[in-house]
Amino acid sequence: MPGTPYPKEQMHRIAYTKLSEQQITSKLSGVSGPASASPLSDVFVGKSIRIVTDKGPALVYAFSKNNRLSVAENGGTVVQAGYGALTLDNIIFFAHLIPGAQRGYAVAIDQSTNLATVFELWFSGYEDNREIQREIYYGYVEQTGQEAPKARHAPTNRIDGKGYYWKQDTGAETLEFYPSAAYSNFVELSRFGGELSFCGPSDYIKINEDFCIYTRTECEFSGTFTAYVIDLNRVEQIGVRLGFDANDALEYYVFRGKGEWLGQLAQFEKFGDETGAPVPAAAEGQTPAKGARRVYRPFKTMAKMTPAQVDAVCAKHTSAFAPRAISPGANAPAASMAGNLGPSTSWLAGKSFTLHYDHAPAMEYRFDDAETLQWRKEGRDWTKARYQAFESSPGVVLFGHLLEGEPNHDGHSIVADFHQGLVTCLNGYLNTPYFANEAGVKIHFGVIEMEGLIPPKYRRHELTDEMIGRAVSQNYAPGLTSMHLYTTPHSLSWIIFTNADAGGLEWSGPAAYVKIRDGLYFMYWLEEACNGTLGTILVNLHTMRDVGIGYNCGENGLNMNALGAHERLAGHFDVKRFYQVKASGGAV
Amino acid sequence: MNADNASTRRSFLKSGALLAAPLAAVAAPAVIAADDELKARLARLEDEAAVRDLHQSWLRRVNSGAAGAATPFADSKNVALDGSVRSIAADHSAEPDAIEIAADGKSAVGRFPCAVEIERTIPQDCTLAQMAHAQGGGFVRQTERRLLKVEYAKASGAWAIVKAEFALA
Repeated sequence: MPGTPYPKEQMHRIAYTKLSEQQITSKLSGVSGPASASPLSDVFVGKSIRIVTDKGPALVYAFSKNNRLSVAENGGTVVQAGYGALTLDNIIFFAHLIPGAQRGYAVAIDQSTNLATVFELWFSGYEDNREIQREIYYGYVEQTGQEAPKARHAPTNRIDGKGYYWKQDTGAETLEFYPSAAYSNFVELSRFGGELSFCGPSDYIKINEDFCIYTRTECEFSGTFTAYVIDLNRVEQIGVRLGFDANDALEYYVFRGKGEWLGQLAQFEKFGDETGAPVPAAAEGQTPAKGARRVYRPFKTMAKMTPAQVDAVCAKHTSAFAPRAISPGANAPAASMAGNLGPSTSWLAGKSFTLHYDHAPAMEYRFDDAETLQWRKEGRDWTKARYQAFESSPGVVLFGHLLEGEPNHDGHSIVADFHQGLVTCLNGYLNTPYFANEAGVKIHFGVIEMEGLIPPKYRRHELTDEMIGRAVSQNYAPGLTSMHLYTTPHSLSWIIFTNADAGGLEWSGPAAYVKIRDGLYFMYWLEEACNGTLGTILVNLHTMRDVGIGYNCGENGLNMNALGAHERLAGHFDVKRFYQVKASGGAV
Repeated sequence: MNADNASTRRSFLKSGALLAAPLAAVAAPAVIAADDELKARLARLEDEAAVRDLHQSWLRRVNSGAAGAATPFADSKNVALDGSVRSIAADHSAEPDAIEIAADGKSAVGRFPCAVEIERTIPQDCTLAQMAHAQGGGFVRQTERRLLKVEYAKASGAWAIVKAEFALA
């Protein structure tokens, strides 16, 4: 009986050990050089080099073997260390730790220019000791009798928008997307079964037009650091991975990989803007500390509530589609995301119908007016609720309401197609297993029973993969623009644009996609281990508008709100083929 | 600095008046009246110049984000510009600036067509907005044409801003 490719817990649910400095020191002691599945390069054997960096260390290396070097930092003591080097065309990449310390270096050298990029890496630099910190220095390899070169490798947004499938020599397979010059998105196909995508702060450094360096730190997760040089034409990589896995075992290896180019997303910066660091490491006017970078830490900052606390806040404050002034507080309705909300419709006012779901209780409705409805489930008493409705496409109405009295404080976001007699409900609920205020969702498919309307017997809305790989930007209001990247059939990521319209911070969550009509998709995402929000949107690719309903419980209560955005298509990655379930070994 | 300039100008204008007298061949009382008129005019010009200097100095403080942007105000409680104003630039496509000195020389009103850059903070009421703030954004800046109306008062020989407010241009 073969095993499945899935982990016991997905990455955002793993309770990574808070390793102490002493534990890390202990785990690093006795470690020589990095492992490598590919033969190490002997390009340096018998040679000595001196790397000079701007505002950083001068490093003198002597390489005795293809896995042993000595290094002196800034003219200091010479120490012996293990290392591993790999080459890719003219580029050499090598990595080593400093014995007895919790730090080391990864270095990329372009032999054609002698320019070098040096990553200083260290543990125990953040409150979570396992999270690797990095500082990047740009410089060159000193050449006797020659002047120092003036050029340098530099941060770039020229890699922005690319996406690759990678297969390392270790056998590890990933999909990696670079929709921002500050963050990146990765799908662990072999390690985690490719269900969800995850995000991490990243660096993108231009060596030349054909080669670049990418880094990623898995902040909020294992803290593991990955860096590699990419040959953009041949789609090959050489790099290093350093960190502790979910079992706290050290991962320290250099690797070589081959990939496939998956596509190119659009960039929205002005032409000519090649800013490589769109998100400043420090606040305006402040000097960034060594290793500083902006990291989105949603798990650290989210409210984590018990069922009793959820019941209490819901009793104290529950609102649906309330004007902001009526519902103040940090978890008030997201009025910011309603700046480009289209007009609501009163089409449902005065109507009554029943929504028959295939695997959930039928819901009867009477619509008193454009904002008030009555619902009842399975013949129980009628309950009044506030709602809002939006006709996204002729005959297709999105409406939502909270279900007062339900033990899990349910909220329904419903798309009803009155031309087809079909309905899909995204049923949000609270009291979920990890944090009670974190929304869960159930998808109900069904039909509309209404006077004068004959629904189909077998046909239903269906889950679809038609959106997978697409990227769509959403402008919710001036200054509030994001981009969705539909990464896997079960997750999406969102990238927040800077004021210069560059991609900035990014995060991701579980998601699903329902096809309503051609070009009309009803989807949700869950901000798990984040703010706990259930976001639902109806994306109309014909009008390039979306309208949606958010459902969120926080310390200030339960809120349902409408949101709407103007959209732009941002491109597509060819990834669907990686999510086909095969007869053995699961996905891929 | 202002005092030095005033002294120079007064000397120059006085010289001019004296030089002009024989040519005009006016009677003595008329010369005195003309001298008074020139003094009054000079005083107005000096006041206008002082107010303009004060205005420019204040704009520099506003545009540089200087913490003491309120300093030229006679009473800090009357600072009309809220923190949303990021910069104020002269609007040269509009009517010229106008500074009116009151007859008693103790108050003045300035009207300055300008382009005002206003920054609005986006409330952190959703994940998207919270992330925008986390990356150093979370605000919207827009430039609007406005008429900056400023009231001034002179006390102990120095001008100060009493009130500043924007009106639609």
